[in-house]
Amino acid sequence: MVKRIVLIKDTAATGPDTTRDFYNRFLDGIREHKLLDEIMVVRAADLGYYGHGLVVKIMPNNIVYHNVQNTDIERIIKSTIEKNQILDDLILNEKPKQIKVALRNCGLIDPENINDYIAHDGYKALSNVLLEFTPEKVIDELKKSGLRGRGGAGYPTWMKWKACRASRSNPKYIICNADEGDPGAYMDRSILEGDPYSIIEGMMIAAYAVGASKGYFYIRAEYPLAVQRIDEALTKCREVGLLGENILDSKFSFDIDIRLGAGAFVCGEETALMASIEGKRGTPHPRPPYPTGSGLWGQPTVINNVETLANVPYILCYGGDNFAKIGTNSSKGTKVFAVTGKIKNSGLVEVPMGIPLKEIIYDICGGTISGKDVKAVQTGGPSGGVIPNKNLDVLVDYDNLQKMGSIMGSGGMIVMDTDDCMVDIAKFYLGFCVEESCGKCAPCRIGGFQILQILNRITEGKGKIEDLATLKRIAVSMQKASLCGLGQNAPNPVVSTLNYFEEEYKEHIINKRCRAGKCVALLTYTIIQEKCKKCALCFTNCPVKAISGNRETGYKIDQSLCTKCGKCKEVCKFKAVSKE
Amino acid sequence: MSKFNKDTIIAIHNQETAEQPDYISVGMSACGIAAGAQEVYDVFAKQIKSRNFTIKLRKCGCAGMCYAEPLVEVKANGMPVVTYGRVTEEIAQLILEKHVANSILVNDCVVNIR
Ligand SMILES: Cc1cc2nc3c(=O)[nH]c(=O)nc-3n(C[C@H](O)[C@H](O)[C@H](O)COP(=O)(O)O)c2cc1C
Ligand code: SF4
Ligand code: SF4
Ligand code: FES
Repeated sequence: MVKRIVLIKDTAATGPDTTRDFYNRFLDGIREHKLLDEIMVVRAADLGYYGHGLVVKIMPNNIVYHNVQNTDIERIIKSTIEKNQILDDLILNEKPKQIKVALRNCGLIDPENINDYIAHDGYKALSNVLLEFTPEKVIDELKKSGLRGRGGAGYPTWMKWKACRASRSNPKYIICNADEGDPGAYMDRSILEGDPYSIIEGMMIAAYAVGASKGYFYIRAEYPLAVQRIDEALTKCREVGLLGENILDSKFSFDIDIRLGAGAFVCGEETALMASIEGKRGTPHPRPPYPTGSGLWGQPTVINNVETLANVPYILCYGGDNFAKIGTNSSKGTKVFAVTGKIKNSGLVEVPMGIPLKEIIYDICGGTISGKDVKAVQTGGPSGGVIPNKNLDVLVDYDNLQKMGSIMGSGGMIVMDTDDCMVDIAKFYLGFCVEESCGKCAPCRIGGFQILQILNRITEGKGKIEDLATLKRIAVSMQKASLCGLGQNAPNPVVSTLNYFEEEYKEHIINKRCRAGKCVALLTYTIIQEKCKKCALCFTNCPVKAISGNRETGYKIDQSLCTKCGKCKEVCKFKAVSKE
Repeated sequence: MSKFNKDTIIAIHNQETAEQPDYISVGMSACGIAAGAQEVYDVFAKQIKSRNFTIKLRKCGCAGMCYAEPLVEVKANGMPVVTYGRVTEEIAQLILEKHVANSILVNDCVVNIR
């Protein structure tokens, strides 16, 4: 009978993987001690620790040893396995870095089974609220929790609800913003697909608190599975009377419909989103009036993000105070981030507000894939900015990120290493915003286009030093004069990369050099004559015949013909082609 | 089905948490499906039926470990709950033969245990 499971994994960032070797030695040890029947040794693929050398995890005791050497095997078996003694010099006592609140059920429950949701405390909050709480008390609980909107702006949720409750006009509406248009962000999709009932319950609690009778899910059409899971969940709720009249035998009646977004980024902006639900063109209009006073069809409306709403049942179930224990003074609770880019373990992480950015990148996600240094981390998507390597100590919350010239945003987090060019990154985001601008107001439509043209020039080696001042000037006017958040924030990636990486811009302009080797127009491929073995491989492979010469004289690249495709460097077996 | 009230919710909660059946749970969000979770699910479904396993097969959403999709979580035979990552149809077979049938964990695939 197996009493214990021992998992083994080499987590060192460098050197060959010693997992298998250590595993064999450990097995030998177990065999010598005649414990083969009691102890199961397993090679793990991942134990959630990185840069800790050889890690040994013993279950069910949940003992984790790190930086274990071959010479430690005997002691581990003798002390820990045979006598239950812990080896203090090897133990890794790390609190879990992730706290799952918004994702509490994702990956745990069956999203297509309402009973499974109920088994995990689903609808407990709603039944308490409907039968025992006044709407004011619900809002009060939200205030205690300190929950702020997770859709980007970080506006306190209770204030939004209170303002809507105070509006006299009826009917009122609740909208769940599931448009998720940030490139690189997909946490909302994951909740929609993995825990649809929690968002529905959150909307119901919001509706009760503000006095709304009707709700809408605004989901981007590119998320067909999310739409299907929400739709099935809504049908199920209607079937068992969790939507409809007199829910849970109370006086509260509420129903929810789905509207599909056509995938324009600007339709995630709340006023554009409401226009789109009304069947009009999805373009923003100036606020005030705010939606809480005059929103959908001119009626009071609360519009909240998916992740915001998924937090709501948790708060009402376990108490606002408990939620507020997580996080920092200004930012309570957790935030889900989608970590992508040059990161080893890309995926969703949910961390308490105030965690050092470094811990997300290195301890949770295992650092860069390449093993190269992190150059910067982009947060907030096209509306955000970069955090340079020297500031990775920053404690992640709304205020700190803002101080660094970035934003929390919806939770996209893109990790860049030394192969990424900062001008190129700025160009990518600017290009996205120019593409997505609805064109209604001039600062965004014209300013964005101008900035993009300048950035294009710089990356092509045609920039002028005065361009930098012009970039800053246009950025300020866009920030000040654009109608909606898209245009107001579109220059942020430019401003922030200019702020931290101005020397890189200058290198592009003055030295015509891109240190990351990203800006193709600035690259030159040359054949290093000393290394060239005259094998003719590059000559035969160049798709545009830019290489001339023969096997006697050697080969040369004609720069005026070269398209910088990189083929010659790729095929050369002697590393004789340089790229600079 | 009749309409839920507070008592129904409590009753379902108690009933569902009282039974703790063994299960195989496959991460079936769009990301998991794109990585091959449907094929893996089908292997489990077919084998469980043809070999008369009593273990329950479920779907779940995604836990965020995108880099290790498709993910399969197994609770069986009184052992800790184990998550396997990058599960292929072959590994699914191994999970059934080793873990479910013989209480032996599959090497090189475990990404979490609790
Ligand atoms: C261009 C633009 C795009 C936006 N896209 C989204 C989005 O995809 N999802 C979202 O929740 N909020 C988005 N927002 C923010 C919404 O306007 C709104 O602030 C948010 O849905 C409010 O919910 P919250 O208070 O729960 O964060 C966007 C804002 C702008 C300016
Ligand atoms: S800022 Fe841009 S997206 Fe927003 S209204 Fe103006 S043109 Fe449209
Ligand atoms: S980079 Fe491409 S186009 Fe230029 S010389 Fe090499 S193979 Fe030819
Ligand atoms: S979003 Fe599903 S595992 Fe990443």
